[in-house]
Amino acid sequence: MLAGLTRQRGVRGSMVVGESDGLIVDASLQVGVKGPVVAALAASLYRRARMSADAAGVGTATFLQLEAERGRVCAIGRNDLVLVALAEPRANVGMLRIEMLRALEALG
Amino acid sequence: MTVAVAEEWVERPLRDFVGEARVLLALLLHPSGQVLAQHGFTRAVDVMSACALAAAIQASSGELGKQLDGRPFGALHHAGRERQIFLAPVRTARNEYILLAVFDQQSSLGIVQLYFEEFRAALATAAPTASVERPPALAPDFEGELNRNLAALFGRK
Repeated sequence: MLAGLTRQRGVRGSMVVGESDGLIVDASLQVGVKGPVVAALAASLYRRARMSADAAGVGTATFLQLEAERGRVCAIGRNDLVLVALAEPRANVGMLRIEMLRALEALG
Repeated sequence: MTVAVAEEWVERPLRDFVGEARVLLALLLHPSGQVLAQHGFTRAVDVMSACALAAAIQASSGELGKQLDGRPFGALHHAGRERQIFLAPVRTARNEYILLAVFDQQSSLGIVQLYFEEFRAALATAAPTASVERPPALAPDFEGELNRNLAALFGRK
């Protein structure tokens, strides 16, 4: 599942991370990606986004995308698990989003 | 945020760690149980208890690690229903210390581990370079030192 995501053009890696502990459950990352660091911070970010959405009364957070200078961090979650993908600017975010939603279904 | 220290060089690293990792309580102590710095405690007696327990846990798990794995275990994490503890050794050129951090759902183990690595590096950099002989497990003036450090932390004469 993760290997399939990471094969997408411009995707540097993907991980399944525990939302509450920020630890990696499984990962497929290119060399040089600081997996544990990204995992801890992305899980924290996703959890706060989910809580913000909840507090704002806009329902469940479905897809989180953080745009940065040299790429994107995308995250979706379910059942205390967060699927995180790191992508370069050239990545097709629409396609990545669909693939992540599919992968999330597989997570159960 | 209040960080009370018995030795000034530990203040900045501990302050940064507490702020970044969002821990509720933090203690930096000598393996003998003497406190060097604390955040979040309001009573000296709690610091004394926590230091004694943390030093005992670290000593026990260290010895268990030696027996099972040939070397002391590293960090220890224990998750409660609402609060969790993280206990880990920190080595500097000067000495070895123990960090005890208590956190809740505002933080996570991953975040604490991440900023602990930064804390460890910052403390090693900040530590005075003059090497000193490792003190005995229980220094001759242990109680006096302990009381002096507690007084420094809680502003008692």
